[in-house]
Amino acid sequence: MLKVDNVTKKYGEIVAVNGLSFTVNDGEIFGLLGLNGAGKTTTFRMILGLIDDYTGDITIDGEHINYKISDKIGFLTEERSLLLKMTVLEQIIYYGVLKSIPVSDIEKRLDYWLDRFGISEYKNRKIKELSKGNQQKVQFISAIINEPKLLILDEPFSGLDPINVELFKSVIMDLKKKGTSIIFSSHRMEHVELFCENLVVLVKGKSVLQGKLSKIKKDYKKKNLLVRGDINKDEIMKCDGVEKIDKVNDEYIISISDESYVNSLFKKISKYDNILKFSVEDPSLNEIFISIVGDSYE
Amino acid sequence: MNSKLWFLAKMSLNKKIKTKWFLIANLIFLIIIVGLVNIDSIIKAFGGDFDEATEIIVIDNANVYDRFNFNYENNSKFLSDYDNVNISLYDKEYDDGVKEVEDDDKVLIVIDRDNDNYLTAKVVSNEEISTITNSLINTSLNNVRSEIVLEEYNITDEMFNNINTPVNVENVILDKNNFEHGMMVSSVMQILTLPTFMLIMFLVQMIGAEVNEEKTTKSMEIIISNVSPKTHFMSKVISSNAFVIIQGLLLILFVVLGIGVRYFISGGNLLGEETGEVMTLVNSLSLDGIEKTLGVMIPILLVITILTFVAYSLLAGILASMTTNLEDFQQLQTPIVIISLIGYYLSTMAGMFKGSIFIRIASYIPFISSMLSPTLYVLGEITIFDLIGSVLLLIGTIYILIKYGLRIYKVGILNYSGNGLWKKMFMAMRGK
Repeated sequence: MLKVDNVTKKYGEIVAVNGLSFTVNDGEIFGLLGLNGAGKTTTFRMILGLIDDYTGDITIDGEHINYKISDKIGFLTEERSLLLKMTVLEQIIYYGVLKSIPVSDIEKRLDYWLDRFGISEYKNRKIKELSKGNQQKVQFISAIINEPKLLILDEPFSGLDPINVELFKSVIMDLKKKGTSIIFSSHRMEHVELFCENLVVLVKGKSVLQGKLSKIKKDYKKKNLLVRGDINKDEIMKCDGVEKIDKVNDEYIISISDESYVNSLFKKISKYDNILKFSVEDPSLNEIFISIVGDSYE
Repeated sequence: MNSKLWFLAKMSLNKKIKTKWFLIANLIFLIIIVGLVNIDSIIKAFGGDFDEATEIIVIDNANVYDRFNFNYENNSKFLSDYDNVNISLYDKEYDDGVKEVEDDDKVLIVIDRDNDNYLTAKVVSNEEISTITNSLINTSLNNVRSEIVLEEYNITDEMFNNINTPVNVENVILDKNNFEHGMMVSSVMQILTLPTFMLIMFLVQMIGAEVNEEKTTKSMEIIISNVSPKTHFMSKVISSNAFVIIQGLLLILFVVLGIGVRYFISGGNLLGEETGEVMTLVNSLSLDGIEKTLGVMIPILLVITILTFVAYSLLAGILASMTTNLEDFQQLQTPIVIISLIGYYLSTMAGMFKGSIFIRIASYIPFISSMLSPTLYVLGEITIFDLIGSVLLLIGTIYILIKYGLRIYKVGILNYSGNGLWKKMFMAMRGK
């Protein structure tokens, strides 16, 4: 279990992370979200032990970060952190040995993962000769070769086609089942929604939204009404609480500022002819994110 | 952590050595070095007019041919390596002689009597004749004229010999470390110092390229999350030094191979035709009794060289950590190259400025001492204690580089921005 407790990191006068606290339990996927420069990378660096001059506490299973603990962490960086002149085998041995794994174990595990990712034939190929997607697979293998207790995934689907995204998703879910704690960071909110039970949204180093995703959505006052039928868009737009109306295919998505307007709008819409659908939906994480982060910046 | 240190060092070294480019570079070094050691044989193998004698024909209208020939032989006996001529009397007409000059590239000398000057001569050649041959012809003709003049005034052979006998001048050199000796030593040390300079450049480039590769690919974050910056830093120092030592040993091996090839080609005479010059050089180097101190000097020089490599690798590592790409590092590398060059040039100039206090003080300066102090020691300008002093200063420099440089390295390797770089580094150095 990873516990980040009231952590603050300053660079001179700039506060990069401000009183951040969260916990990632075993077998949990936790979302760490924020715009560029929000403090995500600094948080990762503190968890990895790359930065040690911060206040607060970071522990894994109750132990402060040290080089013994960091052997149990896997890190998939947003950029390619591969040494391109090495072969796949050399690269994985390189990172594996740094995680204190015997070379014989690394080779066995590598064979398994190369097979799982369908790139066994590239074992002795130089990384620079691989496609972007295959490089990402090698990078992912390098992050999990130590069978980490805590896995940090920063934009894991970068450069992948839809089929490989599915492959990665299944591997991530398997790791979760095996009890790996995973911190997931992505700008693709649909991926976060898919994986994360809990999350924190950082703005300028400070947590502006935190908790269980389902609760965040439920508690979020703004809702979407999905309506199929012949409505007068201009009339509805004039109703209290309606913020905007979009039409997607044959459905109207009516964004309302508060759940309390649902009843009055239902009464209004039910008077129109040919209403085939009326449902109240939680907003997407993307909408919540844009709304929260946008408000905070304002 | 120690096992990770050696693992990192081994990986770095393998990355440098187990490449086809290392092999290709060393094959080129091998060819160049063996070629240089045998350059005289190579030049001769391609052929040329090295041994062809210049034919001089003489139309003697003054009846002085024997005297001229005798004087020429006398004058040229010390220059036989540079002047290869055959002189013969020519009994045909001037025009025939000129034709032979044109057709056979001979040199024609026409000697005539002259009432005012006793002798006049005309030298006809196709192209300009060598300076030495021309001087010998002029000197010999002047000698013949002197003889004729002396005879005309009834000066006997004994008197003539007495006049011509040179004054016996004895050269007593109290200071054995004369200028020529200094120049000769400087030349030798220049050749010996060059590989050190080259190896320093290899070392600096290796560290710079590696640190920057790891930084730009962000693999540095993975590495540093598993080993301390100190371990990483030391692994770079160890691997780069191991690399230059291996490369240095290979260069020595190539020289030995070159000498072996020379031995084989020359049938056992390693010095070839330059025996005299080389022996002069060896004797010159032995004047100071260097051979007696080799047992002490070589270990100290090895220590000072290895310590210099370590100091350069530390400096290069610190500078590389501050840069964010190889182009930036190459700019920062320039001062290191200049520092090394200063050492190299001062080493070559030491023979010309014997007794220079500036050069002597410079021989203590870390980073250049390994190139300068051996030359000064061989010249007799500094003692073994000065060498030990240089070693101690180097050790002190290495200590400072490790103590303060590590702080910079720790901050630098994870820094990707050039903004406020020097401030960050200064703060890091102060431990803030």
